[in-house]
Amino acid sequence: MNIPPYLEKWMGKNLFSVVPMAIAVINPEYDLVYANKAFELLFGEWENRKCYKVYKHRDSVCRNCKGSETFKDGISRVNKEVGYNKNGRLTSYTNHTIPVVDDNGDIPFLIEMATDVTETEQIKKEHQLLFDQVPCSIFILDRNFRIVKTNKKIRNTFGDTIGMHCYKVLKGLEEKCVECTAMQTFTDGQMHTGHHLWQSGTGQPGTEEQINSHVTTVPIRMEDGDVDLVMEMAVDITQTIKLEDELKVAYTFMESMIEASLDGVIAMDANDSVMIFNHAAKKIFQVSDNKKITRKEIKSMLPEEFLAQISAGQGHVYFPETEVYSINSEKIPVRLIGLRISVEDKSMGTAITIQDLREIKQLENEKLEAERLAAVGQTVAGLAHGIKNLITGLEGGMYMLNTGMKKSRLDRIQEGMEMLDRNIVRVATFVKAFLSFSKGREIKVNLSDPVRIAKEVVMLYSQRARELGIKLINEESGSISPALMDSEGIHECLTNLVGNAIDACNMSEAGKGQHVVVRTIEKDNVIIYEVVDDGCGMDYELKQKVFTNFFTTKGLGGTGLGLLMTKKIIHEHGGKIDLESESGKGTTFRILLSRSRLPKKS
Amino acid sequence: MKILIIDDEPDIRTYLMAALEDSGYETFAVKENEPATEAIKAYQPDLIILDIMMPKQSGISIYKELRSKPQFSNIPVAIISGMLPGKGFKTEFKKLINDNTISFPEGFIEKPFQLSTLIELVGNLLK
Repeated sequence: MNIPPYLEKWMGKNLFSVVPMAIAVINPEYDLVYANKAFELLFGEWENRKCYKVYKHRDSVCRNCKGSETFKDGISRVNKEVGYNKNGRLTSYTNHTIPVVDDNGDIPFLIEMATDVTETEQIKKEHQLLFDQVPCSIFILDRNFRIVKTNKKIRNTFGDTIGMHCYKVLKGLEEKCVECTAMQTFTDGQMHTGHHLWQSGTGQPGTEEQINSHVTTVPIRMEDGDVDLVMEMAVDITQTIKLEDELKVAYTFMESMIEASLDGVIAMDANDSVMIFNHAAKKIFQVSDNKKITRKEIKSMLPEEFLAQISAGQGHVYFPETEVYSINSEKIPVRLIGLRISVEDKSMGTAITIQDLREIKQLENEKLEAERLAAVGQTVAGLAHGIKNLITGLEGGMYMLNTGMKKSRLDRIQEGMEMLDRNIVRVATFVKAFLSFSKGREIKVNLSDPVRIAKEVVMLYSQRARELGIKLINEESGSISPALMDSEGIHECLTNLVGNAIDACNMSEAGKGQHVVVRTIEKDNVIIYEVVDDGCGMDYELKQKVFTNFFTTKGLGGTGLGLLMTKKIIHEHGGKIDLESESGKGTTFRILLSRSRLPKKS
Repeated sequence: MKILIIDDEPDIRTYLMAALEDSGYETFAVKENEPATEAIKAYQPDLIILDIMMPKQSGISIYKELRSKPQFSNIPVAIISGMLPGKGFKTEFKKLINDNTISFPEGFIEKPFQLSTLIELVGNLLK
């Protein structure tokens, strides 16, 4: 092709100055005689300076000066050089030194063309650093699976392995692995990953350590596109696998615990999907083993209020006695504990445990029944004791009557008749009381004011107390809301206790036993009645007997049934009765009625 | 021969006093609210008949007191009770006393009793 003359002219004149490569002309005295724009941009001022001054800030010719060699032999050279740029910074550049030959064949000038490769060098260095220092193992393999290059981690673990087969180094094998990840990359030129168990310290007993490696192999392509080398990068996942294994064990352990738990366990994730519904829960809710439970079904099973409190995130939600519905809509008494699980305010889900109270309820009923039977047994034993006294009294009466008649002593006859009368009346009272006790009374539950019952009993006894000079005081503290109880039954209990307290005061020595206090309080959802007297009190033996025997200290005045009856009624309310007493100082009887255990409305 | 009766039941006191007097004994009964030891000091009985279950002071504590004081410990005691069983009396009594150093009473009568048994026992104790 013909080059147009204007193009040739332009190239001769302008190309030198616009070419983006630093070009300078040097004479044999190393003076820079000519340089282009790009040269000035890279090395700065050059006019009237020696090349070594400009390039290297030297005052004399460089050792191994390539320019002087080219002046001598006329051969072009390419060199990697390090010099200073115009800002005084170290700069890497590639220098082409080309001789300018004149018509005589002499070399009056050299042309030097420099390319700044500082950045490239930097990248190379960084690359090397990265390769070496990255905290994972990297090596390069050739097609024979010989190690060509290794990074520091590989060298630290396996030593100098250049030229050795990877399978020998990493696994102590004599031939290539069956599943070779590098092989796959050599074959298809694609990236592959694999899991390999490496053995460090191979051959030296005691130094072996297994390394679980997750390897990635990438192809290193030659210019022709062939894959001659493969880079293999490996991350040590030994710890991860160990943790995973531990986690798996912990999870399996927890899972079997939950599954084997006697309490029902339900867990839902943050989206309310049911994650756990264990065997016990299935049993309680009568769900078949393979059925999947939905959120909607959970809602229909558990009390609305319980779920609402959990969602409100009020810590542990505890319903000690409540009812749930089985999948067949059967009511089941349970204890519920619920908790919204959150990590740093982020909700992770909900956990609920359900304790089936059916068996406990059953046991409670059986226990109550057993106690009732025991009470009846005690009553019969006590009755026998009472009857023994009665019979002795009757026999006494008969004796007085008989001997009085024999001896014609009217006073004895009179006395004997009175004894017989008295003891016959006692028999009648006894039998009535016993019948009423053994028959029991139907418990009638209604919403009652606990304070009012106490007030009524105090009113009932106020006159008798006044007559005996005893101060009977009713004490209330705070407001106590109505409760479901058999008000007549509780009335009877308090009547018995206040009656006893007044008797105890009456029986005490003169000047003592002047106060009876009836106190109604509520603490932690327990309604407490206290009947306190400063009367004669009880000694140890008496205290042991009061509830356990058909027992009276009142001679003709008592049946010995009052406290037994009281205990029975309190038990029917799921409550407790206890006493503190000291001989000569007084007695406190305490009735404790836990609201959660009070009877349900009949 | 003097017999002291400690029982809270007036009818039983009357019965025992009448029956024992008819057999020729002198009797004295402690009424309720009377301290028994005072009566013993004043009356100097040869035998004490003691009930167990009484409202003011139980027979057990009276018995313990009698056995712990030298001036009373020589007086024989017959327990009369409807509470303690005739069979296994010793075991039950031991439980109530709860003190191994105290000796057993000399006699025991279970209520109700045959008058002849009582008279025989009293007779034996006062030989």
